[in-house]
Parts: sequence; structure tokens; C-alpha cells
Amino acid sequence: MVAPEVHHLFHHPIADHSFSADRQTLAVARENNVDLYQRAGGKFEPKDELTGHDKTVTGVDIAPNSGKIVTCSQDRNAYVWEPSPTGWKPTLVLLRINRAATCVRWAPSETKFAVGSGARLIPVCYFEEEDNWWVSKHIKKPIRSTITTVAWHPNSVLLAAGSTDGHARVFSSFVKGVDARPEPSPWGERLPFNTVCGEFLNNTAGWIHSVAFSPSGNALAFAGHDSSLTVVYPSAPDQPPKAVISISLQLLPFMSLIWSSEDEIIAAGYNCEAYRLQGSANGWQLAGSIESKGRPGIQEHREESALHMFRQMDLKGKSADDTKLKTVHQNTISTIRVFEEGAGTVKKISTSGVDGRVVVWTL
Amino acid sequence: MATLNWRTINIDALDADSPANFDVSSLTPAVAPVTTADVQSLATQIRQLLRGGDTEGALQGALENPPYGADERGKDVHLTTVIEILQSIRQADMSPILQRIYSAPGGTEALDVLMKYIYKGMSQTNAASTPRNVAPQATGGFSQVHTRGGGEGGGQAMSVLLSWHEKLVEIAGPGSIVRVMTDRRTV
Repeated sequence: MVAPEVHHLFHHPIADHSFSADRQTLAVARENNVDLYQRAGGKFEPKDELTGHDKTVTGVDIAPNSGKIVTCSQDRNAYVWEPSPTGWKPTLVLLRINRAATCVRWAPSETKFAVGSGARLIPVCYFEEEDNWWVSKHIKKPIRSTITTVAWHPNSVLLAAGSTDGHARVFSSFVKGVDARPEPSPWGERLPFNTVCGEFLNNTAGWIHSVAFSPSGNALAFAGHDSSLTVVYPSAPDQPPKAVISISLQLLPFMSLIWSSEDEIIAAGYNCEAYRLQGSANGWQLAGSIESKGRPGIQEHREESALHMFRQMDLKGKSADDTKLKTVHQNTISTIRVFEEGAGTVKKISTSGVDGRVVVWTL
Repeated sequence: MATLNWRTINIDALDADSPANFDVSSLTPAVAPVTTADVQSLATQIRQLLRGGDTEGALQGALENPPYGADERGKDVHLTTVIEILQSIRQADMSPILQRIYSAPGGTEALDVLMKYIYKGMSQTNAASTPRNVAPQATGGFSQVHTRGGGEGGGQAMSVLLSWHEKLVEIAGPGSIVRVMTDRRTV
């Protein structure tokens, strides 16, 4: 078990983080700005700052191939940042929303990105060559509440979204002239824009915090505020799904999840540590935490003198300092991302959370 | 027109897609309506089990059929039934019973229902001894005196619920508490 690589960047919540393709640059959303860090040896040093938003930044995503950074914020705007000789150059995106933007993700093709918003719609944005401008098309129906999370299918056409109305939905975001016609999949064959390919609701109708397609795209997982994880296996277009597996957990709710392979999900949230879940269309179960419990430096109690102990008792009313959690993250984990992949499985993941830490874990 | 204060216009009412213009209940999971009479007859059946000494069967029966679709009266009837069962089980038997329910199929769901009733019971133990239609702020400190006078049972019911809560969290974890807060199907 390799020890996790912990980067404590600052004492502010990190709403979202993203690494560049070479993993040398780290972008984190910090209050109204996005901070760029550059790897220097084993550490990340502050390098640049993307300023422009005037409310809390809620999402940041670096496109792996083009290197463009997209950010979105509660000020209802999104910017696409491109490197130029004079620094990062922002381009405003026409989102046309009247509520905060909550999350943003590039499509794998990098020609589009989707923004979740409190305006009960999802702007799908693409570049209009003629006008030299990022424009958006809205996915509207049948969303009834704030979109909290979006995730792309590998074909860059299907988009999953989780909402505070308790539904996880799969939409088509096919834009003519931008996308190639997608291969038929269990989700659907003909996919004009805003086709609803699936709509799923938990028994409890709790808020959805995170959605993700499996690496093949043929399964969808979502986690809600009812401490549940649901995995949907679609069968064929317009047919009920082959299997919907929902497990209620004893833990606090998950905020973020990723698939590390077709049969394993890594999820983390209010428990401040990441968990492994394993299964298939026949069933899923929790397989344990990815933190090894016997990590040095946490469990070990230093030998202390009696004088020290009594002094602590006198000062603080207790001998040991128990204000630290036993987990690496000291507060809710809000984002998990893939850090390193090889041979179809994820080898390393990165997590960021409310405690201002970004941690790279080896699975 | 000049006097119209545009700041007070409810813009959501003018937006056809706004949540003000659709029935929010359409978002929640469908629950089958249950009449109070049905709840009552279920309660009688469960009481029979209870009289026969099968407390575990009674608890299981009560938790498998929560009347989500009932009106307030029906829900109150079922709450009384569940509280009665909980009070008739000895402290030493709590954990084994919960463990058996948990490992049965649909066990987490049943325990989530139990957690809902524990919280609902806690919210009502004070109100049980005072008339329910009295507004709490109207009685204020007076109601406390009243509960102490006639409501020795209130405190006892609370201690039973607290020990159930403790045992339940040991088995179902904090997840079940979160589900009580999240779930739109209320008991």
C-alpha cells in the first residue's frame, strides 16, 4: 500500500479540482478565483490565478488534449480559458441562465461542455466558428429542479445529470455539425437533442450528488443524499432497464463517485474518506475504505511524560488532542477524479474537499 | 400602472416552467393511498401477535407496512402501534431483534422505517400528554409543568426510544438517520 500524496493547499473549501493531462498543472476552485498550481518536485507551487468570476466558482475542468480550462460560477457565467503568450485568455460563454451554474464538464471529444445550473436546465455549449463564440443549447425537459452534477458518456453525445428533484437522467446532447452520429447503444438509437434516454428515481427521492457512466458507457451509477448508491444497467432503447441495483449504506452520503473499472466504483463524501464498491448486474456491495487503517503517524501515540500529560489535562481538560479525524481528509470530500489509468483500470485517483486538501491515492 | 412595485412581482408565477406552476408531489415517489380503517385493522392484527408474545413478528409486520399513503390520523394510529411494540420489548432483546431484521431481505428498508418512527415518537412524547391542538408558544413554560405533573409516561417513553435509537444506530449506521431526513415518504 503506497501512502497517499497529500497536498494541503490552503484553508478554504475546494469546490472542484482538475489536473492537466501531464498531471503537472493542478487547477482548484478557490472562492471567486481558480488557482493554478505547478508541480515542483513532490509539491505543488502556486503559479497563476484565473480571475474574472465575481461569485464563488463552482466548477473547473481542464480538457486533457487541448489544455483549455472551463470554469463556471454562481455569477451565472462560464469562461473558457486558453493559454496565450500574455497569459490565460478568457472567453465568455453565452449560458443564458438566470440562476447559478453548479458544475461543468468537458465532453470527451472536447468540442462541447455541459454546465449544470439552478435554472432547471443544462446549457450544452459548443464553439461557433463563424461568430468566434461559445454558444449554448438548453436541455430543459423534464428537469424540475437544480442540476447538481453532470457526467459524459464516452461517445460525447449522451449526458447524465443528477438533480435535486431526486432524479438521475440520461439525455442526448447531439448537436448537428459538432457531433458525429453516435453508434447505437443500449441507451438509444436515434438521438435528437434533448431526447430523454432514461430517468431514474430512488425510493426516497433524495437529492442526487453525483452521477457517472461506467468506462464502457453501458451502466450508470448515481449517489444521493439518502446514503444510497444506485447502478442502472440499460437493456435496449425504450425498454425498461435490465437491472437497477440500489444499495442503502450505513455511511454518510457520498458526494462524488467514479468508476475505476467495469465492476468497481470509488465513492467518497461526508465520511471524509473514499470507499470501494464492487459488483455487477447481479448486485453491488461495499468493499471497504481505500485508506489503510494502520497508517503510520495516525494511530501511534507518542510516549509522553507524565508532566506533559498533566499539563495538557490542566490546559485543555484532556490528555490527548482528539480534534483531528483519523482520515487523511479532515472534512467532506467533494470531488474525486481519475489521476492515472492503465490497461482499462484506474490506478490512481485524486480527491479534494472542504478541508483545502488535494490528495492523490494509489488504488 | 406607475404605482406598481415591480420588486414585489412574483416572477416565478409568470414562468410556465417554474416550480410554482407544477405540482411538487409529482416529483416524489408514488405511494398507494391507505385508509385509516385499513391502518386500524392492521393495528388489531399486530396487537394480536403482541398478545401472543410474538413481539418480533409484530415489529416486523409493523415495519413492513408503513402507511405512507395514509392521512394524519392513520399515521398517528400506526405510530401508536409501533411505540407500543417498542415499549413491550426488553432492552436485552433489542440488539438481537434488530440484527435479525437487518440481515433479512429488505432489512435496511425496515430499519429505516423504524428510525422514522423513533424520531416521530420523540417529537410527540411531549405533545402526547398535552392536548395536541394547543400551540407550543401559547403554553410556553407552563406546558413543561403540565408534562411533569401528568406525563411521567412521557419521560419513560423517551428513554425507551433513546435506547432503541442507540441500538439502531449501532446496526444501521448514521446512513439511516440521513435517510430519515431525506426521505419524502413520511410516517
